[in-house]
Amino acid sequence: MSIAAAVAGAVQVVGGVALAPLLPGLVQHWKARLQGRRGPTPLQPYRELRRLWGKSTVDPEGASVVYRLSPAVVAAAVLAAILIVPVAEAAPGWGVGHDALALAGLLALARFAVAASSWDVANGFALMGASRDLTLAVFVEATLVLALAVAALESGTTDLRGVVAGTAGTHAWASPALALGALAFALVVLAETGRQPVDNPDTHLELTMIHEGPLLEYAGRDLAYLQWAAAARHWLVLVLAAQIFLPHPHGVWWQLAILPIALVVLCAALALAETLVPKMRVLLVPRLLALGAVAALLGIAASIAGSS
Amino acid sequence: ASSFAPRLGVDGLSALFLATLGLIAAPALVFSLRYLQPTPRGRLVGTLTSAFLLALALVVCARDPFTFLAGWELMTLLSGAVILVARGADREARQTVFSYLAVTHLGGVGTWVAILLLAQAEAIGNPAAIGSGSGLQAAIALAALLGMGTKAGVMPLHVWLPRAHPLAPAPVSALMSGVMIKVALYGLIRVLVEWDGVLPVWLGVVVLAVGALSAVGGVVYALFQHDLKRLLALHSIENVGIIVLGIGACLVLRARGADAWAAFAFAAALLHTVNHAVFKALLFLGAGVFERAVGSLEIDRLGGLLRRMPWAGGAFLVGAMAIAGLPPLNGFASEWLTLQALLHVAQYGDVADGVAGAIALAALGATAALAVFCFVKVVGLVLLGPPRTPAAAAAQEPPLPLRAALLFLAGTCVVLGAAPGLLFGTLVGLAPWAGAAPTHAGLQVPGTGSLPTVAIAVLLLGTTAALAVLRGRRSAAPAPTWACGQLVEPALRWTSAGFTKPLRLVLEAVLRPQREIAVRSEGGVLQEVSYSGHVPQLIDDRLYGPVTRFSLAAAGHARRLQSGSLGTYVAYLIALVLVLLAAARLGVIG
Repeated sequence: MSIAAAVAGAVQVVGGVALAPLLPGLVQHWKARLQGRRGPTPLQPYRELRRLWGKSTVDPEGASVVYRLSPAVVAAAVLAAILIVPVAEAAPGWGVGHDALALAGLLALARFAVAASSWDVANGFALMGASRDLTLAVFVEATLVLALAVAALESGTTDLRGVVAGTAGTHAWASPALALGALAFALVVLAETGRQPVDNPDTHLELTMIHEGPLLEYAGRDLAYLQWAAAARHWLVLVLAAQIFLPHPHGVWWQLAILPIALVVLCAALALAETLVPKMRVLLVPRLLALGAVAALLGIAASIAGSS
Repeated sequence: ASSFAPRLGVDGLSALFLATLGLIAAPALVFSLRYLQPTPRGRLVGTLTSAFLLALALVVCARDPFTFLAGWELMTLLSGAVILVARGADREARQTVFSYLAVTHLGGVGTWVAILLLAQAEAIGNPAAIGSGSGLQAAIALAALLGMGTKAGVMPLHVWLPRAHPLAPAPVSALMSGVMIKVALYGLIRVLVEWDGVLPVWLGVVVLAVGALSAVGGVVYALFQHDLKRLLALHSIENVGIIVLGIGACLVLRARGADAWAAFAFAAALLHTVNHAVFKALLFLGAGVFERAVGSLEIDRLGGLLRRMPWAGGAFLVGAMAIAGLPPLNGFASEWLTLQALLHVAQYGDVADGVAGAIALAALGATAALAVFCFVKVVGLVLLGPPRTPAAAAAQEPPLPLRAALLFLAGTCVVLGAAPGLLFGTLVGLAPWAGAAPTHAGLQVPGTGSLPTVAIAVLLLGTTAALAVLRGRRSAAPAPTWACGQLVEPALRWTSAGFTKPLRLVLEAVLRPQREIAVRSEGGVLQEVSYSGHVPQLIDDRLYGPVTRFSLAAAGHARRLQSGSLGTYVAYLIALVLVLLAAARLGVIG
């Protein structure tokens, strides 16, 4: 294992575990500025986590082990996903592989755990949020798989380190395939991070929330795990967007140098998108995601036509 | 033509299916010993079930066409007989078995045509006998897809499956869904992959399309069921679709010359066959346990069974997570392999079949998410939350033989999920063009990021345990669930129909759900509102309805030939003899 791979591994773990809450913090901070408010500092999520860590958890009547273990399962699944997603074209083997399609399975495990816990407590808001989340997940998963397929076809492997290497430089942008894949992945980013127009992360009204619903019945360290997991999802999709679907240089050191800049730019773009675009009707979001899926299919056709 | 000498034999592929049969039949028989005891005619049902298992083994071990077809027919007849005997030949059972036999025999024409054509061309065991790309090859392949696909339950020939499987007793349903469908797929694999030579690309794309349709259609219709066994039966159609997707990927890759990946796709289909047999049998046996304990299989009337029956409920939870394709269990490993195979169809194909592979890839991704949706709903309604009826609140843990069968199958799910690579090497070697893969515990496939299943399982379990410990024990006093200050009454609880409503609304144009709301008010005061909703099986209305009406009309016309008069019949015979003499004179016959 070279020094570059070791440093990339350190950035992967420290970034994913410790720096992930900074990303939603940045988005909230800039969104507030764009809306003419002062808003919280980007470090606010850390204060939230510290506050929650000191509080006690809730014990709803009738809850079983599924309710108590769900946040731990969600955090474990997201941690495994962090170890799978590399931040550059070299990464140490953490033992869990680097496969792009394994990522989808781990995120599905997190979704299942959250939805099962909402059935366990039989909380109406939680079930409403869970049912919408699972409905949208059908279309998000199809679009995610297709977008990753575009990137994999362009680089010839589904190993994410190979994908980062294969889409680096300018030759990958000669055909429109990767641009179409980027369009599809942009929609996946909006859906996975729960940002407008898919979901509104700022409210807890039952009419507008999707991801926030199942969190209602949790408090204390459980809620800290779940909020960290939401922040870590930001890290996962934004790192994938930066190191695969945006132009990035060859070489591990250059990729590591450009990563923080790319993440900051993407957070600013998310804040801008949330301010400019209103929330869509929940039942119309699948059409938006289907648009992304069609774009990715066109990208696959372009990639095959370009390589044959 | 081959002489009528029945031969039996076992090779690699037959051994795999026999081993699966044994793996599922052992716990199912232990289960049925105790389960069928108190039922009337239990002994007869048990005897017929054992004969059914022998018929399945006969199909898998057959080495000449007649034994194969004999076993094939016996499979259908014996399972129909079991349903009739177990239900005491009541009206519903008679109608269901009639439609089961009718549809499987009408579709099963394809099986006979395919096998007999292959035998006539002497292509069994000699794939070079049929010219590649010839009409005969395509005819055999399409006939096999029709006939064996009907028996396996692919859409649109699946109508018998959700009717027949729920009516059988639980262990027989487990065997039907777990093994009989797999034996049908064994026939399909033999014909398409081994006996029919290298099929052209368009046939592979047809198989992919059929697989994608079955996968998505099966799980979408399964989502809207509220009878547990019917839901599981429709879900079997989804998993058969996933296996057929793997077979289709194998055919397209083979036609494009990518032999290594064709072998991996073949292994993916076989691995999913074994996995599905295990977790579907587990789920059906669990459904039998719940039916025995609560007396009903309406999922809206169960609830809270995980606390009442920790062992049986825990095993059912493992089965549900496995079928939803969640790591680190076995469903995830085989779905991952099938996804990789479809991705490589896009890589090795040209634009047309590459895009077909990509569409199939998206369909499989959507199917996986739909399966998660479906089984969260099942787990939530059956196992979690408060019990919804007094019968559910009084449910007892089942006796030891039933529990042991469930726990054995749950343990098999965990083991297959942790070490699928041990089986994977053998399965790749089963491909007739002899691929090879080294044996690891995880799935190390070249050209992918690999799936080290043991490491993922250890990481997930270890991290969950560590975080659960870190969570601490400090907790507030027990309090009811927050519902804006209201008490959570049974009338306010979420049902299956409510949970799946967003998806029903999104897919409204495709599903055409029917809704009836009746409001009764007296003197301006609302007295009663009744609501009934229903997602019809469109294929019943659009395809089978008109076909049935046409057939009955045609039979009505043909009945005019039966005049009952002896003279007319003698005239028919004389006419037939004259026609045969003319045909022989002209040289058409013989």
